[in-house]
Amino acid sequence: MSTIISESLLQDSAAFPYGNAYHSEIAKILIEDGFLSESDFEKIDKVYAQTGASFIKILLSFGFISRKNYERSLTRAGYVFEQIRELPYDEEVLNKIDLKFADERLALPLRADNGKLVCAMADPTDQTFIDFIRATYQLEPHIIIASDLDITWLSHKLLGTKYVKSAVFELLNEDPGNSALTTFTDKQLIFIFSFIGLLAAGFVLSFKTTATVLNVFMSLFFLVTIVFKLFLSLVGSRFELYQAVTKSEVKAINNNELPVYTIHLPVYKEDKLIKKLIWNLQSIDYPREKLDIKLLIEEDDDKTLNAVRNLDFPAIFEVIVVPFHMPKTKPKACNYGLHFSRGEYLTIYDAEDIPDTDQLKKVVAMFSKLPDNYICVQCALNYFNRNENFLTRMFTLEYSYWFDYVLPGLDTLDIPIPLGGTSNHFKLANLVELGAWDPFNVTEDADLGVRAYAKGYKIAVLNSTTYEEANNDFFNWIRQRSRWIKGYMQTYLVHMRNPSALIKKIGMRGFLGFTFFVGATPIMFLLNPILIFIFLAYVVFDLEVIRTLFPDWVLFISIFNLMVGNILMIYVNMMAVFKRRFYELILFAIANPIYWLMHSVAAYKGLYQLIVKPFYWEKTNHGLSKTHNQNNVVK
Amino acid sequence: MKRFKAVYLIIITALLAAYYLALGIYLHKAGYTNQESLFYVEKAQIIFSGVGDKLRIMGLTSPILPFYSVVFFSLFNNELAPVLASAIGTAALFYIMASSMMKRNKDIYYLYLLVGIFALHPGLLYTACSGKSIYLDLILFFLFFLNLLKYYNSNTTFHVSVASLFFVMLIFTDYKMIWLSLFFIPLVLAISVHSLNLGEKESVFRLFMSFNNPSLRRKLINKTFSIYTIIFLLPLASVLIYKMLNLTHADDLNYFLDSPYATWNIITDNLEYTMKETATKYDISEVSILVSLKAILFCPLIVLAIYLFKQHLYQILTLLTPFGLIEFLKVKYDQVNLVYEYYLLFLILALLCIIFRVRFIKNQNPLKVCLIAVIAVQCYIGYVFLNKSAIGEEKNFAEALFNSKPERVDDENYNLAKYIKSMPADTHILADDAVAYAIVGYTNNIQRFTIPFQSEYLSAVEAPDKYNGYVLIANTGNPMLSYTQLTEAYLESIKVKNEALRLTKVYITDNWTLYKIM
Repeated sequence: MSTIISESLLQDSAAFPYGNAYHSEIAKILIEDGFLSESDFEKIDKVYAQTGASFIKILLSFGFISRKNYERSLTRAGYVFEQIRELPYDEEVLNKIDLKFADERLALPLRADNGKLVCAMADPTDQTFIDFIRATYQLEPHIIIASDLDITWLSHKLLGTKYVKSAVFELLNEDPGNSALTTFTDKQLIFIFSFIGLLAAGFVLSFKTTATVLNVFMSLFFLVTIVFKLFLSLVGSRFELYQAVTKSEVKAINNNELPVYTIHLPVYKEDKLIKKLIWNLQSIDYPREKLDIKLLIEEDDDKTLNAVRNLDFPAIFEVIVVPFHMPKTKPKACNYGLHFSRGEYLTIYDAEDIPDTDQLKKVVAMFSKLPDNYICVQCALNYFNRNENFLTRMFTLEYSYWFDYVLPGLDTLDIPIPLGGTSNHFKLANLVELGAWDPFNVTEDADLGVRAYAKGYKIAVLNSTTYEEANNDFFNWIRQRSRWIKGYMQTYLVHMRNPSALIKKIGMRGFLGFTFFVGATPIMFLLNPILIFIFLAYVVFDLEVIRTLFPDWVLFISIFNLMVGNILMIYVNMMAVFKRRFYELILFAIANPIYWLMHSVAAYKGLYQLIVKPFYWEKTNHGLSKTHNQNNVVK
Repeated sequence: MKRFKAVYLIIITALLAAYYLALGIYLHKAGYTNQESLFYVEKAQIIFSGVGDKLRIMGLTSPILPFYSVVFFSLFNNELAPVLASAIGTAALFYIMASSMMKRNKDIYYLYLLVGIFALHPGLLYTACSGKSIYLDLILFFLFFLNLLKYYNSNTTFHVSVASLFFVMLIFTDYKMIWLSLFFIPLVLAISVHSLNLGEKESVFRLFMSFNNPSLRRKLINKTFSIYTIIFLLPLASVLIYKMLNLTHADDLNYFLDSPYATWNIITDNLEYTMKETATKYDISEVSILVSLKAILFCPLIVLAIYLFKQHLYQILTLLTPFGLIEFLKVKYDQVNLVYEYYLLFLILALLCIIFRVRFIKNQNPLKVCLIAVIAVQCYIGYVFLNKSAIGEEKNFAEALFNSKPERVDDENYNLAKYIKSMPADTHILADDAVAYAIVGYTNNIQRFTIPFQSEYLSAVEAPDKYNGYVLIANTGNPMLSYTQLTEAYLESIKVKNEALRLTKVYITDNWTLYKIM
């Protein structure tokens, strides 16, 4: 069976007497069927010592046996598995049990019937749970054997209300000023409409002057933003050889001293990726018993749940079912998962992510070197399917630039870092203290980065990469990008409710950095097609009206900006792939202006959604790539 | 200690700047000048005092960076702005080189050596005190090569990108430098071939193998193209953008290169060509191929510099690129002599190599003796090159610097401007600053002139009597005659159109006649 428990634990076996689960009936059946060996029990004991989890939980969540085999073995022994989702239940019975206990034992009492308490159990021999039933309800249990996934699903659905409410409203209750539940505050609406009003009045009073001023302002804004990005790239590229954590530091880590590490894997309808996910998690170089991996599945996501059920090999994660509650967003799922997490550190990966195998150890080493106020470490993201098509190439250019240059640049200049969607590693206690993720914000990661800075915390950037799947479908890309851009708008609006307070918290440099990065990004994408349209109309039609909008000097500035801006953006993208040695992609940087136009389409969609349905989570489909490169092996 | 060194360096730089300023101002007062300075002075006056289409002057005057530098110093003193720029710029060059030296070499001897060169080398004095933009060329050239050498050591994109940015600025300081990009092709190919993961060690065989294997060939081409793009995309794109701006604002892609209103080069090159055509003695050393030898003769230190990088293929190929550049310039611009600036590049390059590599030499004492001897010889050769230069402006500088009583170089224009200055305040003179920029600049009163950047210029040319009291005409013997419309022929045509027009000569020189319109 599995040999993935760390060697250090095996050597330490004298500390634990022979596995206490060994004598249970279920254990005997599994041994008879050859699914478990004696050495497995030693490992199970060690995991138990580390986690305190039930025998069945350890078996199914730490890679000892697949669910299919477990069910097969028990069925052969005469046990009958029943469907429990539709079974009647009694609220009073449920009120006497806590979700965490039910989840940990993989058992759930449902109702009293004929003087017995009907209980769904994945392990019918779990004496601890049976004793709990007798002590709590003063009744003998009537055990129904059910799949652990069904029990998890049902227990979270029936008992998870308190936790899901907390996941949704915790930040809103504790820190309403930072919640994106309100998209536009009254003051912001007054400002926006006053600005539009002034603009309209300006156009009526003096069309030419207003248009010229607007033109110049837009052009300069454009140029300043791009020059700032070039500056950041240069600052970031200066430290490209700097290794925050070296290989020798990773080697020097003692496995026994490593803390428990929680990994959240929020998924929604990712049934195709589950097998791949197992492989990716297997590759992580971290003691298995110290990993606390949570697969966060939405209540209505039977596809993914069934994919987990049908796995032919053991899973190394624990399933958490997130009960239905609006908004149905990733941050809400992660917040929910926090209630069941026990790690000192926590990170999030998407289902298709392939992190560098030593990433977690690097993070631990990094945190041990950093001052206490560093609460998050962001790793670089890149793509394993970069050469698949035009879109994936452009995506790779963009991400290489963003994670290899911009984030290290921001880090060096001590400007708030808008965190990337995954591979951000937190100190769990500090994350909870911050109020965790905002479930109403669709780029909760970027928001959290700013929030952390505002509270005086810092974020560091680590020299480790997680390879993701670049979006290779245009419409899927638009959906994903529109959500990101909408999220940037939301984040900017949330933190700009009180600009002077924000300046006080993050300083002028941080404020400018935040404005140029989070605020300017959607604005630039919205402005870009307008400017290009005006320029093309000028070049192609030579319209008189446009000439009046562009006096000679404005035209000079505008053409200069248009060209210099585009060239600089092309160049910084080239720099980033040059650093990654993706030479074959360099030429694609020239297509950047086209890629920007695609961003503009997404930006207008994002703006529309911000007004109409701000919390709507545009789902990105994963698993579309035909590429299966394994880039994460540390050489 | 570090802070003490930094303060010490700043003090030396300040002293050097003061020395250059004193010398530069003395030479300026004594009458030394050159076309480049006069051109920029006049354009700066237009920007600060003129009324008209200043956008074209501000955006398309070329080379643009030296011009902006003069514009900046014009805030302090319009007339002396080029000298201020060159003196302070050369001191800045010293500071950049010296701080780079101090970072790498603890031995203070080399700093003194650098001070000695900057204080005594006639070429560097010419750079500092002439008011020309050579200083900016040298600074950017130094920074470009410094970052390239750093790139070879660190292999970081940062250094190669910064080198690229400096190269952009270098082009906008001297457009001819763009040709340097041609000579990087073999270098980039060498880097790419070397980086391929092959068992073969010999470069030629590596090249052979990589060309005959489709996968390696693709890798080689990808990498070569990438490195070349990273270094030269920005410079080439910037030139393209600048040409587009020229097209949209002057209806000519090459306006900044070809128009006497945009650049001083066109006039000085023409002047030099005319002089060379008429000169009976042909300067044999200016023949292509021999130019490289002349550069080595000018700067024997470059040989030592190349030696310092022995067994470093990239670095040696990099050091050879300026030789390629001067040979190419000699072929492309065969009608003009190679100016002093291009020889100075080798001096800067040699010093850069010393800064970079001298600490790796074990026998420091013999090296120091050798260096001081070579530098002494080099200073003398520098003087000879300047004094015997076929280029008037360089020879004039040598004479002005080394003669105890220098004579004013541009007497004719200066005296004419002096006369104009003495005319009544409401005087209006129709002039063409494509060729008369020196006179306009000396006059230091742009309001007295009607020149082409003003909207009324064309009407004034059509009917000078309605707009202006005077017209400045280039005589038939004026070497720049072909670049202006205001010639004797123009007067004839105007007289035909307007028979009542009466003109009286009020001031005549060899090249100019100032007419009063009656």
